[in-house]
Amino acid sequence: MNVDSAKLEALFASPAEEQAPCIIRAVEVEKIYRMGTLVIPALRGASVDIFKGEYLSIMGPSGSGKTTLFNIIGGLGKPTSGKVYIDQVDIAQLDHNELAWLRCRKVGYIFQSYHLIQVMTCLENVTLPMAFAGMEAEEAREKGIALLGLVGLGERILHKPSELSGGQQQRCAIARALANSPEIILADEPTANLDSHTGREIIDLMDQLKVELNVTIVTATHDLKMLRKSDRILWIEDGRIVKMARPDEIDFSLGDFD
Amino acid sequence: MANANELNVIRDQVKLPLSVAFEVAMQGIRIRFGRSIVTATGVVLGVAFLMSILSGQVIKTGVSKEADLRTETKRMYSFLSSEMGPPKNRVAGVIQVGALSDAEARLIATLLDNGLQKVNWSQAAGTQGTAPALGQVGATVSPDQAGAGADALLILGQGSLPQLDWAQVTAGMRQPVLALGQSYDQAALPKSLSVVNLARELKPEEIEAQKLEKRQAAFRSLWMTIISLLVTFICISNSLLMSVTERFKEIGTMKCLGALSGFIRQLFLIESSLIGLVGALVGSLVGLLFSVLGYGLLFGFGLVFTSMNWGLVLFYILPCLAVGVVLSIIAALYPASFAASMVPGTALRSNI
Repeated sequence: MNVDSAKLEALFASPAEEQAPCIIRAVEVEKIYRMGTLVIPALRGASVDIFKGEYLSIMGPSGSGKTTLFNIIGGLGKPTSGKVYIDQVDIAQLDHNELAWLRCRKVGYIFQSYHLIQVMTCLENVTLPMAFAGMEAEEAREKGIALLGLVGLGERILHKPSELSGGQQQRCAIARALANSPEIILADEPTANLDSHTGREIIDLMDQLKVELNVTIVTATHDLKMLRKSDRILWIEDGRIVKMARPDEIDFSLGDFD
Repeated sequence: MANANELNVIRDQVKLPLSVAFEVAMQGIRIRFGRSIVTATGVVLGVAFLMSILSGQVIKTGVSKEADLRTETKRMYSFLSSEMGPPKNRVAGVIQVGALSDAEARLIATLLDNGLQKVNWSQAAGTQGTAPALGQVGATVSPDQAGAGADALLILGQGSLPQLDWAQVTAGMRQPVLALGQSYDQAALPKSLSVVNLARELKPEEIEAQKLEKRQAAFRSLWMTIISLLVTFICISNSLLMSVTERFKEIGTMKCLGALSGFIRQLFLIESSLIGLVGALVGSLVGLLFSVLGYGLLFGFGLVFTSMNWGLVLFYILPCLAVGVVLSIIAALYPASFAASMVPGTALRSNI
């Protein structure tokens, strides 16, 4: 990869406002998975700064380390080497108690396959993280109803996930991600399991939430519709970040951006 | 959003009280009721097997003891009636010299059942044992009078032969039949009496054989208990392990949402102990029912019910409950802790 380093530097800068604080900073993150004697390097020194209030998309072919990077910057996994700072706190220094606190309040997760707890109703799914945060049941219930209203599931708060369509389940998952008013939303291919129409609805919803709630959104995605909406796009290949671009710099008519 | 003061500060996650874990666990059991029943069925089967083996041993012991007693009683009865004649309309005198053995008590009952007209019951001086209930036909007399008008005089109980003037005691008897519950030195007894030895002397080799039989039975029951414990262990751990591992994703999700490992352990501790308790309770009752049914059909319900040591059987429910609950907790808590201590990303990816 012969990328002009000056150009790369410029691209790593914050998009809209240069002075926006950096909310997630990953420095030379390496992650190696060991499967028996097999050593699989998933990340080989990825560095990225993510700024408050931006919408960053991580793109890359499968097996490129996308999900690994995503997990590590979200505090769901620890890097083999390198540092990850969330709000300037090195997450490697945190014990499991503090990590739980971080996952509970700082970050909201949205997954490709929703990961709703199947036996609970929508409302219970949404209020569960609030219960973990120690919120009173009554208050949590009110907030949960409000959040489900916000994502357009106001009519279905007592339905189980199995009674909902994929798009509705993902809406419920989004409401759950917002439960403790996090500053960061991490979405791992949130539209991958949805048809294009529903996918667009979810993208619009996330866009709307980003504006209304001023959250930082990081998504791993292949979805061109999502890429277009994002502030910056990060291209990852073989465990390295090879390119960073704004959507207007990319010709979406091509499959690749080289 | 977090306010400015909270920025850059990571604090410890709130430790939720046990009541919250209990609530979530109960809700889980309620909503997943079908699955919980299936899991509990594993516990039920395991404990039922253990309980059926344990209670089966009690029943078998009781039944074989009862069968021995019946054979012994029958033998004594036939010995006596061959000398005395059928008990119908006859009079028996009894001198009790000590506590009656079960077989002797049964003998009296059998004699009464067969129409014995009258029993002159007497106790030798210094006898500790109590007399059986004789009803209308019984009369308490002194040892000297026991023989009066009797067709047979029985010396029963665990004690030595009383010092009596045997010639005088037996003088008024209708038939000179003397039945001895134990083997005594017969030198003091008048030669005119026909003496029946009700007790059976066991030969040394018979005693040896009985001892061996007892040892083998003890070994067999120990072996059966160990095997049934193993089966129970596998049954319970299998179903609990399965029910937890299929929820790895759920555990990973909860971790992502900020659950502490301790909370997840509590959750599974409560859930598995409840399932274990209910399963073990049902299982021990089912196991008892099945072994009673099985042995009842084999030996007859009357024999099983009368000969069974109910106290011991009911006591066996306690270790069965303990085994069920403890195994359930261990089998669930181990994978649950394992999943809870996993990095959440890994737990989410697991494809079980």
